[in-house]
Amino acid sequence: MSSPPDNPSLGLVASTVVHAAGPGPGPLWDAAIEGRTGLRRNDLDWCALDAWLGRVPGVEGTALPPALAPWDCRNHRLAWMALRDPAFMTAVEAAIARHGADRVGLLLGTSTSGIRSTEQAYAHRLAEGQWPAGFDWRHSHSSDSLARFAAAALGLRGPQTVLTTACSSSAKVFLAARRWIQLGLVDAAVVGGADSLCLSTLHGFDALQLLSDDACRPFDAARRGISIGEAAGFVLLAREPAAVSLAGGGESSDAFHMSAPHPEGRGAAQAMRSALDATGLAPRDIGYVNAHGTATPANDRAEASALASVFGPRGVPVSSTKGITGHTLGACGVVDAILTAKALEEALLPPSAMLLEPDPGLPVDVLREARPAPGMRYAMSNNFGFGGSNCSLVFRRSD
Amino acid sequence: MNPLRFGLYAAGIHAPGLDTLAALRLATREGVPAETLAPAALPAPAGLPANERRRASQAVRLVLACVERALVDSPFAADELRVVCATDEGTGEVCLQMLESLATNRQVSPLAFPNSVQNAPSGNLSIAHGNREPGSVVSFGLESFASGLLCAVVDATADRRPVMLVSYDPAMPQPLAELLPVTRPTACAWILAADGVAGKAAPLARFELALADPAAAPASPLPAWLPAHWAAHSSARAIAALGLLEAPATARMHLPLGGRTLVLKRVAGVGA
Repeated sequence: MSSPPDNPSLGLVASTVVHAAGPGPGPLWDAAIEGRTGLRRNDLDWCALDAWLGRVPGVEGTALPPALAPWDCRNHRLAWMALRDPAFMTAVEAAIARHGADRVGLLLGTSTSGIRSTEQAYAHRLAEGQWPAGFDWRHSHSSDSLARFAAAALGLRGPQTVLTTACSSSAKVFLAARRWIQLGLVDAAVVGGADSLCLSTLHGFDALQLLSDDACRPFDAARRGISIGEAAGFVLLAREPAAVSLAGGGESSDAFHMSAPHPEGRGAAQAMRSALDATGLAPRDIGYVNAHGTATPANDRAEASALASVFGPRGVPVSSTKGITGHTLGACGVVDAILTAKALEEALLPPSAMLLEPDPGLPVDVLREARPAPGMRYAMSNNFGFGGSNCSLVFRRSD
Repeated sequence: MNPLRFGLYAAGIHAPGLDTLAALRLATREGVPAETLAPAALPAPAGLPANERRRASQAVRLVLACVERALVDSPFAADELRVVCATDEGTGEVCLQMLESLATNRQVSPLAFPNSVQNAPSGNLSIAHGNREPGSVVSFGLESFASGLLCAVVDATADRRPVMLVSYDPAMPQPLAELLPVTRPTACAWILAADGVAGKAAPLARFELALADPAAAPASPLPAWLPAHWAAHSSARAIAALGLLEAPATARMHLPLGGRTLVLKRVAGVGA
């Protein structure tokens, strides 16, 4: 069935992701269904905080290919671990062969990019009076470096951009890419993002007293804050048949506070309603919501309130990936999108990992165990960030 | 792709020696380098609650100041504009403050951290105007304006809503200025809309935007009326593009963007 030109149905043609629970979408799904966490107590030798982390094994030992060596930093090693997936590479090569390298867009999200390199270089600059030899801010920390690195890795020569709206970054790129394809700027697009462990976010969230000293427990009565994780994920979007497609989405701003959510989740609800309007769906059409679910007391309360206002109290089953991967900040949008797509494909709803006792004060149907969802057509994925930046994506299972 | 057509309805600018659109147009006509040594003071953002106003970083003040100037002549209310912010290293002094803490006692200020995200000015802008429309922030090195312009015009066309595009570079304190030599802040704000969105309001000028092969459309040099060292400012391209207001009706500017070149072309006619 062909789509009208102004409302493209975009297949999720291929996807790849690395996260704390293992390399690839398969291990992410397995961990999600089993309710298994990838979080571990902080064992970084460069940070002493009492926290649990979604640290990806093997980042330190990963070497970039020689041609990509100028971009070396933790964030790009993480990105490379995802990009090098042979099936994903093959799918992108096929898109390039079909459309041309200049007709495949690249839109990525990151919050802190390769700032870990600058943290190390600045400490050196302070001690030695000069930047370390070989430190290259443009190729590591500068936000655009993620896309320029990925473009070089994938052989893409189309228009590119990096969105940086904190924790909604790699969700918003799906909608930006959709508009690029809708208006004919490109025929296909690689979207996604990467964010890696760094002192800035670890000590920053600690300063805000939002870090949990336990593994994070989204929507749990005993939740005490976030666990920070790292991840990189990429999805190839094109007007091609696929098991799951991007139906649309909605965005909004809280216009309330830089780091605290609106208490009733006003902006979050607006994004969800806008997503429903954009896709012509009613709340009852959505079979599952992958919540942002960060596990801070205020965030989960605000999101629960927003979910109840849109779907009715306990009106839709929800779960969060944060108990599996940790909060991967600028990368969580694409991680959640990949998991939501898999839930649609499998017609199975993943439980919220690390949940022990759902908070009775939250009007949400939090999944405690995997639940079959035969006949589910649509699912939503929510991501909200600092600055009140909200994004809700809607995915559709193919007939 | 068909070229995307849009109108520029208002603009604001904040840069040393270029504090009004009229000053920019004069510099364009006379070809005189604009920069003065007089500091361009950044006012405390009046629209923010008192606490936020005190905490406002230089980047937040810069963005809010040039947006206020653009809004003076805007046919659209501040809270109906979608927002696209475009910046290279958009945190400046806050980035340094964080790095300093992390390299020494690791006592990060809880006030600094939320301001250390690239979308802090965008978030504060939404708070200042009670604007709940979507906001995006793009950061693409020296191609940040090109990236922001494309996203803004795409938003304006696809969703048929007016858009505020803000291109800015806060000053980088030493020693970060050794990495990115932006020593004084520059910014400008464009209020734009697709044809037919602004009712009877007449645009300052109308433009077309298209993608081209870089080999056929090499990057436009910065005009002589801008200080040469502003080449390190991503927003200098946005300021240079405002110079098209004084150019012939077919003038164009080529802006590299990733593997392509964005062609911004002035087209004849004003009015909706």
